[in-house]
Amino acid sequence: MSSDRILLELKGVSKSFGATRVLEQIDLAVEDGEFITILGPSGSGKTTILRMIGGFTQPDQGEILLDGRDIAKEPINRRPFNTVFQDYALFPHMTVAGNVGYGLKVRGVTRGTVEKRVAETLDLVQLGAFKDRYPQQLSGGQRQRVALARAIICEPRLILLDEPLAALDVELRKQMQDFLKVIHREIKTTFLFVTHDQEEAIAMADRICVMNYGKILQLGSPTDVYYKPRSEFVARFFGDNNLIEGTLGAGSSERRVVETPIGPLPCIADAVDGAAGSRAFAVIRPEAIRVDVGSGWAQGTMDQVVSGQVTHVGFGGSTTVAVVEAVGQGGAVPLRVKLPSRVEGLPIRPGDRVRLGWRAGDCRLVVG
Amino acid sequence: MRRHPLATVGLVLVTALVFVLLYGPIFIPIVTSFFNVKYGTVNWDQPSLDAYQKLTQNDSIFEAVENTFIVGLSAVALSLILGTIIALHCNSGKSRSRALLQFVVFLPFLMPPMITGLSLLIFFREVDIPRSMLTIIIGHTVFVLALVYRTILVRLQGIGPSMVEASYDLGANAPQTFLYVLLPNLKSALIGAGVLAFALSFDETMITILVTGTQNTLPIRLWGMMRLGFTPDINALVAIILALTTGLVLVAARTLIPKEFAGSEG
Amino acid sequence: MAASGHRISGDTFWRGLAIALAYGLPIFFILLPLAAFLVYSLFWVQGTDMHYDLTLVNYIRFFKEDIYIPVLRQTIVLCLEVAALGVLFGYPVAYFLSSLRGRKKYTLLMLLLVPLLMSYIIKMYAIRSILGGNGFLNKALIALHIIDQPLTFFVFNLNAVLLTLTVLLLPFAILPIFLSLERIPKNLLEASADLGAANWQSFFRVILPLSVPGVVSAATFVFILAIGDFLTPQMVGGQNGFTFGRIIYSQFGFAYNWPFGAALSVILTALVTLAIAVGFRFGGRRGGAL
Repeated sequence: MSSDRILLELKGVSKSFGATRVLEQIDLAVEDGEFITILGPSGSGKTTILRMIGGFTQPDQGEILLDGRDIAKEPINRRPFNTVFQDYALFPHMTVAGNVGYGLKVRGVTRGTVEKRVAETLDLVQLGAFKDRYPQQLSGGQRQRVALARAIICEPRLILLDEPLAALDVELRKQMQDFLKVIHREIKTTFLFVTHDQEEAIAMADRICVMNYGKILQLGSPTDVYYKPRSEFVARFFGDNNLIEGTLGAGSSERRVVETPIGPLPCIADAVDGAAGSRAFAVIRPEAIRVDVGSGWAQGTMDQVVSGQVTHVGFGGSTTVAVVEAVGQGGAVPLRVKLPSRVEGLPIRPGDRVRLGWRAGDCRLVVG
Repeated sequence: MRRHPLATVGLVLVTALVFVLLYGPIFIPIVTSFFNVKYGTVNWDQPSLDAYQKLTQNDSIFEAVENTFIVGLSAVALSLILGTIIALHCNSGKSRSRALLQFVVFLPFLMPPMITGLSLLIFFREVDIPRSMLTIIIGHTVFVLALVYRTILVRLQGIGPSMVEASYDLGANAPQTFLYVLLPNLKSALIGAGVLAFALSFDETMITILVTGTQNTLPIRLWGMMRLGFTPDINALVAIILALTTGLVLVAARTLIPKEFAGSEG
Repeated sequence: MAASGHRISGDTFWRGLAIALAYGLPIFFILLPLAAFLVYSLFWVQGTDMHYDLTLVNYIRFFKEDIYIPVLRQTIVLCLEVAALGVLFGYPVAYFLSSLRGRKKYTLLMLLLVPLLMSYIIKMYAIRSILGGNGFLNKALIALHIIDQPLTFFVFNLNAVLLTLTVLLLPFAILPIFLSLERIPKNLLEASADLGAANWQSFFRVILPLSVPGVVSAATFVFILAIGDFLTPQMVGGQNGFTFGRIIYSQFGFAYNWPFGAALSVILTALVTLAIAVGFRFGGRRGGAL
């Protein structure tokens, strides 16, 4: 995995395109050997970061440090990075072998060595039999692997992947995700992967860098960003989540109370801070909420319990989502609950009165 | 929805008439070329290839044709090179100067050839460039440049920036990128544009008349002969030219019309 | 090669050279001659001497002397007639062409464009001889007993110029109209029929209005080509078929007054620019260039 040695660092990087501010004071350190994913919606600036590292565009301010040297103004072809483009950018007039060998050829590597290296790399991506085909004759997934091979063969210090799986259908995409992870482990090169698909990010990354509106909102492991969001955006971005809005109450740096319509809810603060009375959310993952239909808690005692009425039950394959309207002094709050599905159906129907409970550790504080 | 039969008849008639008008002036010389002509009258009962034979002995025509080829090939070469450079530049960004450059390139094509010819005539006189083959070549190059430029530009736009970025990303410099990535993908556009440009230059009369010194290209020679009337071998020449240019344009059409997989890199 | 934002090592030399050529050559061989041309129109000639000081004498002469404006007017009218005839004959052909399907359509289109490949001079000559006293047309009309004597209606006058130009420029009229007809979405006609319109109603209410830009383009195109043609009137017009283009040409030949010729050409260019502007404004997206 990563060695904790910093390979590349962006410091104070900002960029505008015309009147639009695309990146705002970005600080990012990429560790050697890691698989880091830059995740965000369209327009968040994630692709700009990738293109800036690759050299296709320059920052207005800030530095891009490689081995301590600022490479922000270095030309594309001098940077020791290679890119897998979103549309693959394969050369239609060259064979697969020609495409993959291109980077070596322009460096003046001898023909024999090029052929050998090309054969090796094609075997690595399992396309050895296709070396004389043309890109037009390949499927989407195969073209993808050619683009990857073409980037790998030059042994760059960093491989940049610009939403490379976006054009593939779901089944193929999952296969490629696993495949990319395998390759990453094999060649031990740092991967920087840009995507807008949060499931993809969680599945593949060592670290996820969540971005929106040109700023980095959170940087951490998949479990970190999933279970310990530090902002409303990140809390909402990953999967279904319950954000119960309220005002910040009293507490310590570890636990704070959020005053909500359904009562004061204690949350894990984890150094998240804010002024008392400011807007805050109690965040609880739907799968962390337990339902008591009258027979008590099967999982032991719950630290927090509320009552409510089931308004909706939706079968979603492996999980069933129920929406329960929890009622309190200040009003009603709909809570989503995720339960493993059962063939015979779950013992809850719309209209049932139930109790919801969760453990203290599953309720986290996020300030608005 | 069936069209009224009367309307169809009318349309077909007009189209037929137009075809007669267009092809009449062409067929007559061509057909005549295969018959014996004496003292200006055609002997329809004496088919012969005399005209073609006489053609091989007509030195002034051969010289004119030779000049036409020299001018044409030179103009094509020059306009292809210059057109590629300008297209690459104009495709690499947006700016006022690029827009102006494009406008200047289009001018000789948009304006009546007479104006282009006259402006070059005046210019050559003032800059002391004697009228010669060189001035004809310059005139033709300037005239066909717009077409060549536009054809290449459109193809460049079709290629898109990704491949070029990929080439740089893999470590190539600008000349390598041009040679290994752009040129192979521009080939069809260059051939098509070149052929069309040659066809245009081959028949170009108005600019040539104005900027030529004592050299004759074929159109100039024919123009000179027009006052005296044409000799029978001209008919043969006409037939050959038509065959040649039709063939050229077929080549252009085939290379310019995109194949299924053109443009995208997969 | 390099997009504007891309930095490529070692390419400053190439870029510099390329940009120098890209701007330099067009400026030198297109812009400069045109500028010289403009300036020349402000020089003047006395006898055989050229005077290189600036004056508007040539333009004044154009407006004052009695021949030039009438000839220009006559030429404009002639070229408008050519354009009108071109559209008149061209529209039905374009319409017929666009109603065909598949191979027939493109073969016919190619066949219509092939005449453009023929030598311009030869075509002109051939048309002249067809129209002439001993020509095909007269021989045919006499043989059919429509007339007794050869017609001189089309011999060496403006009518000859009109006919010759029309025949020469017909393909240029057909093409823009054809293209604009092709662009009309087929489902509009289906919608029109669906709403109850008869064929001719669909034509007049849907097709014709939508093809107007193409018609304007075609007319403009033909007009500009016609008005710039000084060779056809020279060869076919004789003494009675004088056009503005011929007057300009003679300034550079017999009359030998280059500045005056330049001035007349500037006026012609202004006219052509006006025509292009009109064509652009009312015509299809394609403006003047093919």
